[in-house]
Amino acid sequence: MADTRQYGDLATQLLLESRRSTQSNTLLKYNDPLVRSLIREQRDLERAVETLMEAEPDNARPPPALLIIQTAINRNKRCLLAYHAHRVSMLQNLYWECGGALPHLISPDGAHRSKMSPHEVDYMKQYSTHVMDYNSEFKEDSAEILSGIEKPPKEIHVNVRVVRDVGIIQTENGSIDFRRGERYVVRRADVENLIVQGYLEEV
Amino acid sequence: MDADADTGPAAARPAAPLQEEEPQTPLQQMMRHWVNERHAPDILPAQEGLMMGLLDHLRRQTRSVQVLRDDPTSSESEHIRIHLVQTEIERVRFVIRSYVRTRLYKIEKYARYITSNAEIQTRLTASERDYASKHARLTDQHLYLSVLQSLPPAQAHLDDTAVFSPSMVTVPDKTRPIFVHALQDCPPVRLPDGATLEMKKGHISLTPYHVVEQLLERGEVELV
Repeated sequence: MADTRQYGDLATQLLLESRRSTQSNTLLKYNDPLVRSLIREQRDLERAVETLMEAEPDNARPPPALLIIQTAINRNKRCLLAYHAHRVSMLQNLYWECGGALPHLISPDGAHRSKMSPHEVDYMKQYSTHVMDYNSEFKEDSAEILSGIEKPPKEIHVNVRVVRDVGIIQTENGSIDFRRGERYVVRRADVENLIVQGYLEEV
Repeated sequence: MDADADTGPAAARPAAPLQEEEPQTPLQQMMRHWVNERHAPDILPAQEGLMMGLLDHLRRQTRSVQVLRDDPTSSESEHIRIHLVQTEIERVRFVIRSYVRTRLYKIEKYARYITSNAEIQTRLTASERDYASKHARLTDQHLYLSVLQSLPPAQAHLDDTAVFSPSMVTVPDKTRPIFVHALQDCPPVRLPDGATLEMKKGHISLTPYHVVEQLLERGEVELV
């Protein structure tokens, strides 16, 4: 540990990452080294507390140093939790933005997978299961809660261009084999997911 | 949509005085609940009966549309009308979807509070309660695995009550200011500074949410 560092410096760095992530609205890479060193700091602080307690076991009034250390411990812990909670809520936003397409989010060649910690991947899998369970209640009414809610639909049909090969998709007018470069007029509800995930592009 | 104006809503609205002369269609009611839900910081009572009624109606209409579309004898102008109905169905679905998602967002945010508060649970549907407790557990577990299990045992709790930091459980902020529109003459309400505010029909005010909470529950005002 560098001598010039104060209690809580690491936690401040962590919070700055969260803030940057909010301001740029991007998911940053999980900062494992920083989280680890913060946890190490917590252990060191806890040992310092124990040493202080042992030095004066019968003292009714806690030594001032104890209060300072305890405050640092509390703050570090809150920052750690806030960092993780913030990341998880970023991930949830991404999940809803791509229409609940979990494979799209956590596929190894996707843009986000490399930024997530293993626990976060597990979290998202579990999260997706819960959302799907809840959604299944609405599915029979074909009122998918996962479709977009940014703007109300004006037209039921949409003119799309295929950006990436999709394969055969069932639509209300039978199945269509979407191939790159082709253009179709299809029902929005049938292809909403493909648009969000960037397979199709609205024209 | 007006075909079944008299189904569903009876259960959804607690003996509220009629706020307007003409009764509202279920869709109009749904839209009002949707707008209210989107503006309120707290979770409002679930409108399960109303929503299920609308969903049933949508399902019946979708089926009729399907039948009409497949009928080769239907004329050009009928096709245009079918098209309009289909568009309307999608738009109603949008409202319901947005309503459900708004509630879900709040449920996720307040999940831990919900699991420990019996009053707020009465405002949720069974599946929403289920979702809340699952979500609270999932989040706790994630924080435990990522952080708490690596900390010394003395620090590994999620219910600290440290003096100078905010509570670890997020609760709805009922002091958040909201715009409120009186649908009828309202009884006076007390403002935080002790003054009273009496709103006549059509009056619009900016107040903290908790001031008009009761009025909203009784359907005397709407949020705008």
